Amino acid sequence: MQAERLLQRASVVRAIRGWMDTRGYREVHTPALVPSAAFEEHLEAVRVGPAFLHTSPEMAMKRVLAAGLCRIYQIVPAFREEEVGVHHTREFTMLEWYRVGAGTHELMDEVEDLFATCARAVGRDLGSFRRVAVSALQDPSLEPDAWFHRWVETVEPSLTGAVIVHGYPAWQSALARIRGAVADRFEVYADGVELANAFAEETDGSELRRRLDASNAARSRAGRPGHPVDAQFFDAVSRMPRAAGIAVGLDRLVMVLTGSKSIAEVQVGREL
Amino acid sequence: MMYDTSDFRNGLKVEMDGNPFVMVYFQFVKPGKGTAFTRTKLKNMRTGAVIERTFRTGEKLQAADVDEVNANYLYEDGTFAYFMNQESFEQVAIPLERIQEEKQYLTENLDVHIVVFKGEPLIMTLPNFIESEITYCEPGARGNTAQGASKPATLACGVTVNVPLFIDQGEIVRVDTRTGEYVGRVKE
Repeated sequence: MQAERLLQRASVVRAIRGWMDTRGYREVHTPALVPSAAFEEHLEAVRVGPAFLHTSPEMAMKRVLAAGLCRIYQIVPAFREEEVGVHHTREFTMLEWYRVGAGTHELMDEVEDLFATCARAVGRDLGSFRRVAVSALQDPSLEPDAWFHRWVETVEPSLTGAVIVHGYPAWQSALARIRGAVADRFEVYADGVELANAFAEETDGSELRRRLDASNAARSRAGRPGHPVDAQFFDAVSRMPRAAGIAVGLDRLVMVLTGSKSIAEVQVGREL
Repeated sequence: MMYDTSDFRNGLKVEMDGNPFVMVYFQFVKPGKGTAFTRTKLKNMRTGAVIERTFRTGEKLQAADVDEVNANYLYEDGTFAYFMNQESFEQVAIPLERIQEEKQYLTENLDVHIVVFKGEPLIMTLPNFIESEITYCEPGARGNTAQGASKPATLACGVTVNVPLFIDQGEIVRVDTRTGEYVGRVKE
């Protein structure tokens, strides 16, 4: 049973690499050990001495874009403190890719095609994707606390099948561009499990610095340490071209594609 | 006493709005950009109804003031079943309608487990296995060991279970009270 799952996982990874190669994406490697590992209020990084393990390779991959590469991807372990459950482990595998000149619509088409390719690699079919605006699912005037509570309790369980949810409230922009009242980002769900998160990337360093300061102020009010400022990231992000990027929880994708009940079924040796 | 979301586990007994609940499911969830929550299913120990509730990490729940006592079955009067609390030697009465499944296995002196919430007995749990004499079944067909062949047998406690064909009236058999299935013959 476990061997079968791990072989299916290998098939999915091979399908991803083949898909990336066909579309001209180059595999890159960025360090997991970083001076600042997160940007958002509700992300906790694993601390290693004076440094951190990255919560995703996002900040370093934007430095690769600033260096001039246009289509890049990475499959890499990522680490998040305080996240353990059926769909969470402190260490998990992230697939992340960036495409210069693209917007979220191009990435929606790409992720649908990639997931269908991965599903075929293990003899599965995710069915066709629905695309739904967040405003059709959730009252946009809810305060953050009530917003998330209702999201988790009511909205997520209703997202059956394969669904792309797009246009989040601006206060949930993270590193995405804001257009009007909404953040230009989307998430991909399969049977209520969040599989991916995508941004039309904000490239204005001073805007991003304001957001980091705001999230650190909120963290300070909650008695949490602030995320350090990574000067090289802010320097690079202002030089990178317009791009869109997406991060996929690879373990969860394999879990969903193999009909597994928990992330532990598609990993081996995760004990921490 | 209060429980925090990090204490959540199946079987946790909590009180909400004056009602006693037992946790039957819990799951850590964290939307991409949001705070962490725990999704739960809670079974009302009084009515059996299951509700779904989601709690923010760090949210607290009142522990239910429950006692778990060992007791022996005494008798029933058509409305209540009466048990003797083995520690206090007090009588405990449980409405029969609340133990409709379990009551058929009750025989005098049977050891049971009772959950009491603020003095109110809520749940009566039978031993996993009981032994009872067969008071009626069709005569045994010795030598017939055909796989799966069985016949109904009425036990002294009143329950009817399916037993293999070779079992005779007067024999004592062991029954799993959770499934209602025959599990074996008890040799005297």
